Amino acid sequence: MPRILIGVVLALGAAITAFPFFWMISTSLKPASESLQYPPTPFPQTVTFEYYVQLFTQLDFGRYTINTVIIVLFGFIGMILMAMAGYAFGKFQFRGREPLFVLVLATMMIPVQVTMIPTYLILNGMKLTNTLIGIALPTLVGGFGIFLFRQFMSTIPTEMLEAARLDGASEIRIFFQVVLPMSKPILAVQTILTFIAGWNSFLWPLIIAGEQKNYTLSVGLSLLNQQIAINPPLQMAAASLMVIPILIIFVIFQRYIVQGFTLSGLK
Amino acid sequence: MALTTSAIPPRMKKRRSVTSAGATPYLFLSPAMLLLCAFGLLPILVAAFVSFTDLNIKGLANWSNVQFIGIDNYTTLFTDAAFWSAMGNTAIFVVFGVPVIIGVSLAVALMLNYSQTRFFRFLRAFYFIPAITAIVAVALIWGYLYNTQFGLLNYLLSLVNIPPLQWLSDPTLAKFSVALVAVWRATGLNIIIFLAALQGIPRDYLEAAELDGANSWKRITRIILPLMRFAIFFVTVTTVISWLQFFDEPFVLTEGGPLGATTSISLFLFLEGFRLNQFGYASAGSLVLFVIIIVATLVQLKLRKADDEY
Amino acid sequence: MKRLTGSIVAPVAVLALAAGLTACSSDGGGSSEEGGAITVWIMGDTGTAFEELAAGYTEKTGTDVNVEAIPWANLNDKITTSIASGSGPDVIQIGLSVLPTLADAEALLPLDDLLGDYPALAAENFADAVAGEATQIGGQTLSVPWVADTRVLFYRSDVLAEAGFDAPPATWDELTETATALAARGDGQYGYYIPQWDSSLPVVWTWAAGGDAVDAEGNVDFDNDGFEDMVDLYTGLYADGLVPTNSDFDQVQGFVTGITPMLVSGPYLAKSIEDAAPELDGKWAAAPMPKNVDNTSLFAGSNLGIWHNSSKVDESLALLDYLADPEIQLDWYDKVNELPTNKSALADPRLAEDPNVAVYVETLENARVVPLVPNWDSAVGQKLTDALNAIVLTGADRQSTLDAFFAETDGLAVQ
Repeated sequence: MPRILIGVVLALGAAITAFPFFWMISTSLKPASESLQYPPTPFPQTVTFEYYVQLFTQLDFGRYTINTVIIVLFGFIGMILMAMAGYAFGKFQFRGREPLFVLVLATMMIPVQVTMIPTYLILNGMKLTNTLIGIALPTLVGGFGIFLFRQFMSTIPTEMLEAARLDGASEIRIFFQVVLPMSKPILAVQTILTFIAGWNSFLWPLIIAGEQKNYTLSVGLSLLNQQIAINPPLQMAAASLMVIPILIIFVIFQRYIVQGFTLSGLK
Repeated sequence: MALTTSAIPPRMKKRRSVTSAGATPYLFLSPAMLLLCAFGLLPILVAAFVSFTDLNIKGLANWSNVQFIGIDNYTTLFTDAAFWSAMGNTAIFVVFGVPVIIGVSLAVALMLNYSQTRFFRFLRAFYFIPAITAIVAVALIWGYLYNTQFGLLNYLLSLVNIPPLQWLSDPTLAKFSVALVAVWRATGLNIIIFLAALQGIPRDYLEAAELDGANSWKRITRIILPLMRFAIFFVTVTTVISWLQFFDEPFVLTEGGPLGATTSISLFLFLEGFRLNQFGYASAGSLVLFVIIIVATLVQLKLRKADDEY
Repeated sequence: MKRLTGSIVAPVAVLALAAGLTACSSDGGGSSEEGGAITVWIMGDTGTAFEELAAGYTEKTGTDVNVEAIPWANLNDKITTSIASGSGPDVIQIGLSVLPTLADAEALLPLDDLLGDYPALAAENFADAVAGEATQIGGQTLSVPWVADTRVLFYRSDVLAEAGFDAPPATWDELTETATALAARGDGQYGYYIPQWDSSLPVVWTWAAGGDAVDAEGNVDFDNDGFEDMVDLYTGLYADGLVPTNSDFDQVQGFVTGITPMLVSGPYLAKSIEDAAPELDGKWAAAPMPKNVDNTSLFAGSNLGIWHNSSKVDESLALLDYLADPEIQLDWYDKVNELPTNKSALADPRLAEDPNVAVYVETLENARVVPLVPNWDSAVGQKLTDALNAIVLTGADRQSTLDAFFAETDGLAVQ
């Protein structure tokens, strides 16, 4: 197949894939009455930013954004913990390694809906409901992340670590100064995945937050989804607010992502 | 997967792949494992225990209201028509959804990998967008597109003289509609994984094949796909698991309707547990689902032939 | 790549620190920890308006009010987790269909011995359908009335006039007749709209046909003539193609465009119509429910209760007392269009200035609450709409579907 044809097919696919987002942004700029017109207008005939303003003036989206950012930051701590676990699985021989790793993989198979109540009770026992830490904790580490780190880190040459040990470096120092710098590609992948997960977190904030001041963007958005009196532009403005930052970050990091997966031994 | 190593002193030539060092690995493991146990393993144990009780909202309020009822929940579950209907729906989703997601992701990845020009790189980003979007936003956007009155999809159909479709109201079509959104969302990450695997294939393999006169189709089937075995296997496993746990799209788009047509197992459990407050019953169901997922994964592991490293 | 790592690894330590600090500062919450403030759960999107309303209470008593808006869709999750943890709000807005569930979980504080000091909360001040015994559970008062909601017939007077009807249908027969004429306006036009998710409509129509949803002992039992009459009307409207069949049909748009010029809905619809199409002013109105045996309607809405282990019972009662004031209830109506439950507020001439509101108030006088069965919405309501939808949308056999529905709801009873 010639390159031109493939390019055309891909461009078409890309347009179809991304179309709902174009529609989202276009709708968010329409007045409510226009958004409910039939036939729909592809571009807003009257451009209005009132709904974006409304999000921050009448609704608490400023606070939700701050909360969401905090959840994302917690996620990065989780990422380091996953990296440490992946390193242990990848570069150490120890008793119980296989069963423990199977356990890690098994946690990927547990349906979230199942663990909701028990998890809630556990957090409640730890007195962490109504806190942002409590919201972040259940999803802080995941089997998938540990698996990816292990895949990558097992490819780090043992000689490097041995050399560092001979130099008298402590294990923690080796991890932070030798292993992590060598793991840039997988860290890039995990950064993105962590950011996505934190930024979009919905279920736990909803259940654990307990109060509006702890809600995240996803929960704020779902508050707008009333069965009665739908207001598409307001909803789409909130959705745009959620999608656009993540898009920007993604475009910046895109280059490293494929690279990261490439080097993580997923072949 | 060779990573060039820096010059190594001769005395270090004992090539061991892993290190053994007393307590160190455990120290590195423990924080993550503690969290995994607390929020992964412990809840499933709690669920297992609860599945033998009649725990409902009364019991939550006061544990003295909880009674052991043995395997009653399980026997009720296997005679519950709603459970079987959810099982059937999930089976349909898995049977159709897995090949579609893998096929589409693989095809797109192969095409994206065809050329390394700036244009092809630029196109990549578009395919990843759905994967990075919050489900709540996705649901709102698609609900709006699917809407039968002012939704865009039916308008587009009307342009080519096709009568409006009941995207989310027709029991058969609704299955397709929610699955379509799921496919649209799931391909992004898988494309990345496949692209990564493709980039890991040594160029000289392909150049050698080209010199031997293999056409591109042959190159794909004889060289590329075999070398991508692990990536394909990995994506298959995660995709099967995600379809078995399929929840988000039907929950936000249809709440499992119309008439239960899009109720997956996960959603059925959620509705039983959180709408009807039958926690004991829902836990029994969740254990069954957990076992199904484990078995499905083990079967795939068994089916997978030993993977040759190159 | 170098820059990237710097941007990831280096700040982690800083992040950890920052996160720790935020965690400390974001602590608190819960009902009894904040100095003096009481926490109120308000449903849906009226939280902001409620904050304004509660400002007057804070002024009067010096007690701050924390308002938490709970999305309707997530109400169950919130209630469940609160019950599990034993920590809820101080005051909670309780949709009447949720009341038995909360009572079942013993989540609400019995108020019988406490209301004596608050004459404004006495049963005789509130509409009969929700006052005192009407919303008691197991002989205990667990909540006091707050806002009222009902069902009336909304119709497009201009569209009906064009079709030759100068008055809205007053009986079931007229409803069918009018809807038939309206649906004959052309392709894609309907006469009436049935919200497929709304289980209250079939219940209301069952009452209006002289039937009931529970038997004399309080067990859920739809197997009666009134119910059959309701099913006749319900399925007939579908069979004759008088109502749209798509489940995501938007009632406001349907009404505004005139595609569905009649429907039974609540006062919230009026507000939506005003917002969506101010230009239609004067071309639509509310009318009493069409009659069969009578025209009983639904008394829906919310009560207010106090969480069973609230540490601020006195402050919470004072808030309930404040909210029971007719002026405050009227103020609330102005803010969000939710009707009062206080009798003198309902009788206030300011409400009757709007002819639509006069219809709501009149309808409330002949309205009932749904049976107080735990999980009514999911265990009965959802099953009822599923059964009806199966008959009208998929052509399921009427008798066997209904028999299965009777069997499904067998054994459920009013608490």
